[in-house]
Parts: sequence; structure tokens; C-alpha cells
Amino acid sequence: MNLYTTLQKLCTCPSVSGREESIRELLRELISSFVDEVSVDNLGNLIARKKAKNAKAKKVMLCAHMDEIGFLVTFIEDNGMIRVAPVGGISLSAAAYSEVVSEKRVAGVIVPESKTKPKEYAIDKFYVDIGAKDRKSAERKVSIGDFFVVRGGVRRLAGNRICGRPLDDRIGCAILLSLAERLASVETACDIYYVFSVQEEVGCRGALPAAFGISPDVSLCFDVTGTGDTPGADPMACALGKGAAVKIKDSSVICHEEVVATLCSLAETHKIPYQREILLYGGTDTAPMQLSGSGSRAGALSIPCRYIHSAVETCDLGDAEACVSLAEQFVLTLK
Amino acid sequence: MDQMKNLAREIVALCSVPSVSGFEGRSTKEIQRLYEGRFDRIETDAVGNHFLWKTCGREGAPRILVDAHFDEIGMLVREILEGGFVRLVSVGGLSPSVLQAADVILYGKEVLRGVIVSTPPHLRSAEDDRLPDCEELLVDTGFSKDELEKILPLGSPVGFAPDYRELLGGRLAGKSFDNKACAAIAASAIAGVPREALAGDVVLMLSSFEETSRLGGASAGAFGLSPDYAMVIDVNLATVPDVPKSETVPLGEGISLSVSAATDRALTLASQKICKEKNIAHTMIAAPSSTGTNATAVQLVGGGIPTVDVGLPLRNMHTYNEVIDLADAEALASFVEAFVCDGEIAKNFCVREELPK
Amino acid sequence: MRTYDNDLTLLRELSLLFGPSGCEGEVADAIERALPALCDSFTRDRMGNLTALIRTGDLSSENRRRVMISAHMDEVGVMVSEICEDGLLRFDTVGGIDVSVLEGRKVLLGDESHRISGLIASKAIHHKEKKDRNKPTPISKLFIDIGAKDRAEAEQVLSVGSVGVFDSEFYRFGKDGAFVKSKALDDRMGCAAMLSVMSALVRERPTADLDLYFCFTVREEIGLSGAKVVAQRIAPELAIVLETTAVADLPETEPAKRVAALGKGGALSVMDRSTVYDREFLNFARATAKERDIPVQIKQYVSGGNDAGSIHKSGVGVRTLALSVPTRYLHSPACVASVEDYHSVTSLVEAMLRAMDTETS
Repeated sequence: MNLYTTLQKLCTCPSVSGREESIRELLRELISSFVDEVSVDNLGNLIARKKAKNAKAKKVMLCAHMDEIGFLVTFIEDNGMIRVAPVGGISLSAAAYSEVVSEKRVAGVIVPESKTKPKEYAIDKFYVDIGAKDRKSAERKVSIGDFFVVRGGVRRLAGNRICGRPLDDRIGCAILLSLAERLASVETACDIYYVFSVQEEVGCRGALPAAFGISPDVSLCFDVTGTGDTPGADPMACALGKGAAVKIKDSSVICHEEVVATLCSLAETHKIPYQREILLYGGTDTAPMQLSGSGSRAGALSIPCRYIHSAVETCDLGDAEACVSLAEQFVLTLK
Repeated sequence: MDQMKNLAREIVALCSVPSVSGFEGRSTKEIQRLYEGRFDRIETDAVGNHFLWKTCGREGAPRILVDAHFDEIGMLVREILEGGFVRLVSVGGLSPSVLQAADVILYGKEVLRGVIVSTPPHLRSAEDDRLPDCEELLVDTGFSKDELEKILPLGSPVGFAPDYRELLGGRLAGKSFDNKACAAIAASAIAGVPREALAGDVVLMLSSFEETSRLGGASAGAFGLSPDYAMVIDVNLATVPDVPKSETVPLGEGISLSVSAATDRALTLASQKICKEKNIAHTMIAAPSSTGTNATAVQLVGGGIPTVDVGLPLRNMHTYNEVIDLADAEALASFVEAFVCDGEIAKNFCVREELPK
Repeated sequence: MRTYDNDLTLLRELSLLFGPSGCEGEVADAIERALPALCDSFTRDRMGNLTALIRTGDLSSENRRRVMISAHMDEVGVMVSEICEDGLLRFDTVGGIDVSVLEGRKVLLGDESHRISGLIASKAIHHKEKKDRNKPTPISKLFIDIGAKDRAEAEQVLSVGSVGVFDSEFYRFGKDGAFVKSKALDDRMGCAAMLSVMSALVRERPTADLDLYFCFTVREEIGLSGAKVVAQRIAPELAIVLETTAVADLPETEPAKRVAALGKGGALSVMDRSTVYDREFLNFARATAKERDIPVQIKQYVSGGNDAGSIHKSGVGVRTLALSVPTRYLHSPACVASVEDYHSVTSLVEAMLRAMDTETS
């Protein structure tokens, strides 16, 4: 499976937090042939299981979130302009003057009210213009409660780098798909649960019940992380192109020391490029997997990503490939 | 230090064990060394909790959880710079006001000493009186960058150096009394109770992640244990000038019991009754909507665990000069002992209500 | 249609009860007295949550749907934090109360066994600096006066940790008594609506195979959610949270920020600060309302949060719906709601439970 081609499919499927139906169906289709069973839980998490031979095998949960940040339609003005609320961590300066598309594929643009200075950006000062001439004509296309996202899509940059949205976290989903394909014909000692979680962007809500249901012994999260390799960035050892980022800490979690150590030593042994990641902010599904139920040994493989939550999220495909290889080795060592 | 009472020695012994949040798993051996033989068994779990079991020997006895978080605030190595300086990230809420020129220990492949850097005042401009956060500070290690890279992996924990003093009137000063002093006091009290006197099977949970996670390792630990009722012990801000009395507890006047919508009212009143009957010095404090401790998470685990929140007064929280009063420590020990032996609480709080059928 | 709580006897009784978060016993007692006639069985757990079960359809069927319907019994209140030498009390709020509605209010303080009157005050306007006169007095400068002449006298009737609620009148006002005003409409309206629904369902049971758990929960206002514990125990597939939602349908509020309007029916949430609501369940509610001609509106602003936040993430996850009575001046001693909306919410819940299939949708 080619990561880039997969991403091209995954990134054009508007699926804001809580409304992941369309990406879920696509992922279900893509992963089904690599696993033994696929289910969807009450919140909409997609859970694909590859069974171990031994019924009492240890369980490993591999999780990437399939939702993306976006906007909720809250009000339609008489002039047909649409007021929205943010879903997840929207940066308005990144979103201003972007093309947006609704879950019903209605196109529009998100813009600040005239004369609003960047310093004054607040969601109440923004609206979506779908070109409707008045409220009535807007209401024919959009209802209160509909969701918009900034238009998705991915392009190639120099070398092995790609740019677009929402690489956060369709790149994690692509890694899981690729991993599932590689392990499809391998007999593993542990039960593998590939989980495509919902509602990560609104506070890691989906992975918690998913982990509760699975009750894994070990868990690994696949998500993007910030980098320190751009002009003006805060100091951070993590950089694009230096390999899979083995998470040590972000503001929601401190990863299990042995999981970190195992990942690092496997990377050394198998000559897989890797780096250690300490993120000063941010949270991931690692935290709910660590503490759900009676807890699991939790770690994370992160994909370094520049300009997170913008329309030009930038990653290096080599880092994603390293994540696939390192995750594969990790799963194979689990007994 | 020879003059110190036994309890003080136990407190200092446990508080000296490094346990930066997230690295509690490294302490298993030390915990075993300190408590082997004094408890029935010592277990660990996937998130770094340690469980010290003392069973009463009766079938079907209630299970009593005593929680004291075992992790401490600290730092991690974030980056190694030229000249052997180390950039940090804080773990838990560090106060910038005590970081300048502090003694630290770096726990890499080897254990290293270091000093947090401080720019001297005559090199700072007069207007620049802002104290840098931990993330902006460096540790001076005295090694070269190359040497450090071999012995100090990124992510290695860094803690304040243990250095204890006895103050006037039986008070103790040092690091990590938050919350290992409470853990040590509870361990000492429970270990000393004759098995027959216990009201149920007691498990002392030295829990992980309290300083860094809203749920804490305690929620996962309590889920696995599924106790009938629980006591959460944590330190509490003691009176200092400048802070209203209603927001603090007096030092040296015993333990605190929180009256809170976030904990079990009946269990709190039953605990107050124990204090009155046994003449244990205590202060009732109002914590209207939250206790700010593990009690908040523990009582919502599973089908609900009635929980009481107990505090040990402490000054200078989250510094390396935390101060506790041994009289309070003795009061806490007496309370823990009485609580785990209280038959009436065991009778009233081990009811397992089912759903309607 | 209008079969339940026409004269608001039930709502009046429940709203005036004493039930700050963590001390809901009086409310639970009152509801518990009504339950034997309204359900098949019920329990009260150690935390104080009441859970009542109505089973419908084929009781021997193994394929029964578990549905949780919940409303919280607690209300915002105050807690005594210090008893001063002069007999005045320092206090803090239990749950979120806007400090601007505290000063000048009468309160009832006490616990399960006794009550005492007090009032919230600060220094007189004569003693306030001019610049402070138009500012709400911060809670650190407010005190409760119970008339005690000194600390000793106060300590005879109260202690640190004693709790209290607003002491305010319940009345209807407006044309034909269209509006209702009281403390604690949040969420005694939800509790009263549940009791009415239960009474209707017990008279004539739905036909689908359902286990309907009606949960009267504790401690919502402090964000702690007794509902979480109840949901963890029930592990339902579906949950309906009956609530009030703060609205600002006032002349000077911009239309886009009014949230919802009184008199237009119950408000369904698409998203709030704690939950993104299940799409299909939301569509089912709207379709049911349309079919039965029950007014309903969609909340037009993202604000607040409620027990849905902890219910939907509990266990292996729960598909959750929030239906609220739009309420002005929420968390004050004078919450105002429309009587019609209260009845619409009751009707819609009943209609939804009757329209549910045995099969998972």
C-alpha cells in the first residue's frame, strides 16, 4: 500500500469530530481484507481486530484518530451568511480566507468580518459565505447543526515531503492501514486491535470507551507532533525527516518507560530512523488509553508535522514509513 | 538526625526515593526494601501504581482502599546543549520562584548532580524581573555534550536533591513530603495494626501520575481493585501570612477532613466521628466543588466508591523545602489506623447496591 | 395532550426543595416517595442517585435495549468556609454561580436535619469606593448573616462545610401564567418531566422490548456527575439527558448569541462544551417531534455542558441526546422558563420512548 495514494483518498473525506461516518466507511473498506473482524462501537470508533491463535493472548491496541477539526453551523443571518462555532483547536488566523466544504459537500469560504484586525480574531467575528443571496436560499443548502471543514487534500513538496490537510491524523490512519497490510499474513502472538478513533480533536473522547471495551495490555497511539525545525519555533529536538518520533511526553501523558525503551532499542537494532519526542503542549489518545479501565502500558509513535491545524500541514513520508516499520517490529516482539 | 523519631525516619526514607511522575515504576525495589515483610504482598500495575496489601484473614471481608499518591513533581531532560547544559521540561506544577540555582539530580544511565542556572542580578536589566519558567532554564552538569549524550537519554527524569532538616518543635523540612510523607505515614500505620483488628482487607495504593494527570493513576488502580470504600490522603496547604485562613489549614493542629460536594458526606461525617472519639486533632475544611486531590477521580470509578479526603498540613508546597509537623503526622497515623479498623464504617459502606431488576 | 403536571404542583414541590450538590437527600426522599407507583423497581445507591426501572415489551426477550433517561437532582448553592468572630460567615459557591446574583439574596443554610435563614451581604454602598459601586462584589468580600451575635452562637447551628441554597419564591407570571419563576428549575424541571413521563408509560406501556432506566442523579453542578457512576453501572446503549439550557433571548443580545428562545419548545443540542451529540439519535428526536407536532428547536450557540459529557464516554460509550428546557437567568434565584416548553419536553420524551424500536437503529 502506498502511503501517499492512501492519503490522497483519506484527506478528501470531510469528517469532523462526532461526524466521522464517511471516513469510517472508507477505512472499513480499506482495512477489511487485512483483519478477522471489524466493528463499530456506540460512539462510532472503528475497531478492526486481527486475532491471535491463542485465545488468552495479550491484547495490543493501535490507535489513530480519524476525525478532524472543523466548524459547526450555529446560526444563519438574514443575509444568508452563516455563523459557526469551532470544533476542536481551530486557529482562526490559519483558517481565515480558506475554502470550506460542508459534510453535504456544500462549498463556501470562511472569512472575518470586514475591518477585523488579526489581533481581534474571534469566532464571533467570522462567518461562512456560501454565496447564498439570503437566509432562505442558504437554508436550502445548509441547516443549523451541519458541519464544515477547511477543504482537504494533499500535495507533494520537494523530496519525500507532502503538504495538505488533514494530515492530522489521516497520516496516522494511513500508517495503521499499511501496518495492517504488512501483518495480514503474519501469525502474531498477540491480539491486534486497530482502532480508528472518533472525537480526538475535541478532547480525546473516543479512545477512552474504545480502550475500555478492548482493555488492552499494551497500547500505541499514532498521531502527529510538533517540530522545532522551522524559523522562530520553540526549541524542540524533533524535526521532519529524522524518523519516527518515539513519544516520551506531551502535556497529557508521560509514556510508559519500558515501551519507550523497547521502541528505541528496536529502532537501533533494525536501523529504523527514530527520534525521541518531548512535546511541551498538546494531548493525544495515548492518555485515555493509558488510564482507561485498569490501565495499559501506553506509548506513542508520532509523525513530525509542521503547521499543525492549518491547511498546509507538512510531513515527511519517510517518517511515516519509519513508523510503520517500527510499529511492525514492536508488535512482533509482543508475546 | 539521630534524635528523630521512628516515624520521621520512615518519612525521610520514603521521601528520599526518587519518583518523578511517570517514573514510579523505577521505585519498586526501594518500596520492596522498605516494606517487604511488613505487608502481605506488594504488587504493581501497568501505570506505575504500587499496591501494599494487608488482609484481615476473613472470607468476604470488605476491601478498604487507602490512596496516597507516590509521584513527585520534577523535570525531564528535553535537550542537551553545548557545554554540558541541559534543557528541561517540567513535570507537574513547578514554581519558578524556587528554581534559580537549585540543586538537582539527573537520573540517566548514571546518576548525576547538577545546578539550575541563574543569571546574576548585575547582568540583568533592572526592568527584567520576570522569573523564567522551568522550560526556559538550563541545568549545569559539568560534563561535555558528547559525554552527556552517552549517559543521559532525552526524557531522563530530573528531581530536586533530597536534603532534610529538623526544625523547631518537631517540624521537618525537605522535598517530596507531597505526598510521600502521607504514603509513609499510612504505610507505617497500617503495617503496625494487628491483622485481627482490621475491619477488612486493606490495600494501600501508592498511586502514580497525580501531579500530571487529571484522572491520575489512582483511577486505573481503583478500577482494578474495586474497593468498597476509600480514603484519599494528600497534603494540604498550611497557614501562611498573606493567604486567608479559609483557604488554608493550621500547621500542627492535626489533620484536615474536607467537607465537599465532591466526596462522600456520610463517610466524611463518620471520619469526623472517629477523630472526636479517639481525640485525634483535626480541622474540618470546606472544599465546595472539588478537593483537588485523587478523591475526585476515585469516587467516580466503576459503580462509585464512597471516598473521604484527608489532608496533612504542609507549607511551601512544590518546593524542596516543604515543611510538615510531626504532631500532624502522628495524628494522621492514628487516624489511618482507626479508619481501617472501624467496624461501623465497614458495616455501613460495604453495601453493594445492585441496579433495579 | 396536556396530561401531566398541568398546574405545576409537581414542579413547585420539587423546585423548592433543598438540594445543593452533595446534599441531595431531601430531593431524593421526595422523589422516592413517588416512585413505587411509577415504576417496576428502583434503588438508591450509596452516592445518592435514584434509579427506577420500567421494563416493556416481551420480558423474556434476550434482545432488550437499555435506555437511560437522566436528570440531576442537585442545584447550585453555597458552602460555609469560615465562621468569623462576629458571627458572620464566609462562604464559597457550590457549582458555578455568577457573583453578580449573590449579593442581597436570602439563603437557607443547613443540612439533612435542620434549616436556618440567612442573607448574603457586603459593606454598605456608603462604605464602597465610587469606582467599586458598579462592580459585583467579589465573593471574598461577601458574607452571610444569620443573625448570630458571635462565633459561638453561630457554631451552635452551623459548622464549616454547612451548605445552603437560594431561598426564593416559586410563581407563575405573564399572560395566562405562561412563564414560571423559581430557584433550581435547573434541573428540577428535568426531574419533574421524568416523573410525568414515567407515570404516562406505566399507565400504558410502550410495546418494544426496552429496559428504561430513569435516573435521578447527584452532583451535576460541580461537574462531577453522579450520572457517570450510574451510566457505568447500567451500560446503556442510549441515553437521554433532560436538562435546562441557559438562553439569552433578550432584546439587546445579538440574534446569533441568543442560544434559543422561550416558547419555541425544548432545545436539542448538536454540540456543547462536553459533547458532540449522536447524529442519528438527534434526527430521531426531530422526526418524532415533527410527526407528533411537538415544538422543538435546535440550540443555536455552543455553550455549557451537562451530564451527557460523562455519560457518553462511560463504559464502552453511549449514544446520547440532550433535550433542555430553555431557561433565562440560569443559576440564579430567579430562573425563568416557559410552561409550554416544559410540557413540550415532557411530551417529546414520552413520544420518543414510545417510538423506539426493539432493534438497534
